[in-house]
Amino acid sequence: MKLHAINPPRFIMSLYMLVLLILAVLVDISFVSLINDALIKWAMNGILVLSLIPMMNVGAGRNFGMSIGLSAGLLGMVFALNYKMTGWLGFSVSLLVGAAIAVLFGFGYSRILNRLKLNEEIVGTFAGYSFIPIMNIFYTFVPVTNRQMLYPIGGQGLRPRVNLDIYFGGILDRLWQIKVGEIVIPVGLLLFFFVIAALLWLFSKTRTGIIFSAIAENERFSSLAGLRVNRYRTIGIILSMVLAAVGVVVYSQSYGFLHLYDGPFMMSFPAISAIVIGGASQKKAAVANALIGTFLYQTTYLLSIPVANALLLPEMAEILRTIVTSGIILYAFIFQRKDAGNEVLKK
Amino acid sequence: MKKLVSLLLSVLMVVSMAAGCSTTGSNPQGTPAANPSASAAAEDSYKIGIVTPTLTVSEDEFRGAQEMVEKYPDIVVHKTLPEDFATNVEGCISVVTSLADDPEMKYILFNNGMEGIVPAFQTIKEKRPDITTIVTSNDDPQLLNDYVDLAINTDWVRRGVTIPTKAYEMGARTFIHYSFPTHMASESKVQRRDMMKATCEELGMEFVEVMTPDPQTGNGKAAMLQFLREDLPRQIEKYGPNTNIFGTNCPMYDVILDEAFKQGFIVAEQCCPTPTQAYPTVLNLEITEDDLGDYDKINSMITEKAAEAGMTGKLSGWAMPSSVYVPQFQVELAVYMHDNGLTIDDVLSKEFLDNFSKEHMPVAADFAMAGEGLDHYWMLILEDIYY
Repeated sequence: MKLHAINPPRFIMSLYMLVLLILAVLVDISFVSLINDALIKWAMNGILVLSLIPMMNVGAGRNFGMSIGLSAGLLGMVFALNYKMTGWLGFSVSLLVGAAIAVLFGFGYSRILNRLKLNEEIVGTFAGYSFIPIMNIFYTFVPVTNRQMLYPIGGQGLRPRVNLDIYFGGILDRLWQIKVGEIVIPVGLLLFFFVIAALLWLFSKTRTGIIFSAIAENERFSSLAGLRVNRYRTIGIILSMVLAAVGVVVYSQSYGFLHLYDGPFMMSFPAISAIVIGGASQKKAAVANALIGTFLYQTTYLLSIPVANALLLPEMAEILRTIVTSGIILYAFIFQRKDAGNEVLKK
Repeated sequence: MKKLVSLLLSVLMVVSMAAGCSTTGSNPQGTPAANPSASAAAEDSYKIGIVTPTLTVSEDEFRGAQEMVEKYPDIVVHKTLPEDFATNVEGCISVVTSLADDPEMKYILFNNGMEGIVPAFQTIKEKRPDITTIVTSNDDPQLLNDYVDLAINTDWVRRGVTIPTKAYEMGARTFIHYSFPTHMASESKVQRRDMMKATCEELGMEFVEVMTPDPQTGNGKAAMLQFLREDLPRQIEKYGPNTNIFGTNCPMYDVILDEAFKQGFIVAEQCCPTPTQAYPTVLNLEITEDDLGDYDKINSMITEKAAEAGMTGKLSGWAMPSSVYVPQFQVELAVYMHDNGLTIDDVLSKEFLDNFSKEHMPVAADFAMAGEGLDHYWMLILEDIYY
């Protein structure tokens, strides 16, 4: 399938964003602060969206079980924080430990998904949901010694959120900030995001990357051609999980909290919405889809709440906003199906 | 073979549930000599059953009850509700009614801000009229009044007046109320908001209402907290630091207080005022093993950090979480009633309850009857503390 430069859902989403932007300026919301927030939000959520790409490209579906990878990243941070590692040390140890755990989790997860082919998305949803209570038990019993992380009354079990300010909160956000007038461009954060995006793009051009898309296109044919399909699927799933772990560490440093327990519960949905809006189909996602999709989704999300609050009755604001935003995402899904259907017909 | 295995597994689960749910106090350290009531109770042994949510749902009630188990290990029986209490009301009811199966059970105490638990107490009233029930839940006041011996609740609605008044005294001229649709569908929260609005108008304070993404239907708590992160600086830029921020949802305060320390606005009271929620996270408090449950110590740590940040006088709350206070109050009251042979009619007065809290609890409470004719339903507010 060709990558359309502008497909209808993307066009509608851009239009919606533009309308919101004009309304935001009209209702006197600071334009500068919106731009600043939009840039941070883009990169902060971007890596989570990028993490979907390897799995989609290898034909293992959109990763609704992302919370497994996210938990690995959270564990990495728990490890670093337990030893009170601050600054770059804490950040890089979180990334490394998180990625290492993600390899383990990803391997286990790939074993499940390889047995249940074609049902990856629904299996992933359940696997993700059931993994969170398991992690909750772990968070409650993990023998952490840093008392800044423990419940204040009983002294056993991790707090639901840990403030990262004194550890590595905002470490990437603040790196190499460039000020253009009042607009602050977080160059360090964006660079980190773009480097990962570029690596993923390069990966898709390697032999393994090309085999990935062949498997997604026609798995039976690929296996007859002598490719070890499950092996490549395992690589794709592990890669997705590692990126999710990296993504949540980057997300947390922007967010300012290490959000445990139900923190990762719903995080796969915005990421998947973003990549669908970006124009990715179920089996083919490009880095560009993720970049455009994340920007459109996160910026409309950012704009819509204050605008809706300013223009509508308070009680209606959130409800109407949810209807419109979810409606566009649903349309993008329908469109994507239609598009995929046409492709089949053309063949 | 498979059937056998699954049967075995299910039997195992039932057994482990039965065993796992109850955390009966079998604390070897709690010597009977440490509590004088134990000797009095020795002649006619009796039990107090207390039901709270699990630790992950709410630390406060759970720990409050656990402390009582440690204090009265032979008397207090602690059971927990299912995690999904909001959707699994049947499960909650069976946890409560199962306590009444024990012939020695004389007091059943319940502690969870949920709705739909009254049928359990209806059953107990029919089956075991000798059991005294003390309940904290969000059920209809009239129903609670009819089927429960003593209903105690924090006075959320009266706080619609006290919070804006306190905020005004602390220097606030704008009052921002953050909430979301699911909360604004709850009667008591809407009532409180309306009271806040009216009080603000009376005081000449601007009342601003902002809706956040819904944590219960949308993309979870993270989306709501991220919105607060972005919105609070915008609002403070617009209204200035003489603004009081109030949010209807506990997790919001992690961000609200964190931003308060950065932007310098006022937080007169949390939705559930307590030093143990949000403050330890935001200030990275290190609470050593000896200081656990020592509210004076935790409060002084917050005061110190607030002074360092120049926030003195801009933060306030209650000296102790009411959600820890109430379960302990219930147990102490039950023990006192038993030891002194009091019936429920002896304790149902403002004078008795106020004095009891002053004499037997670490912090005094101010009780008020919930409404006309509701003589079994009492509402409390705890003493203020300013950081």
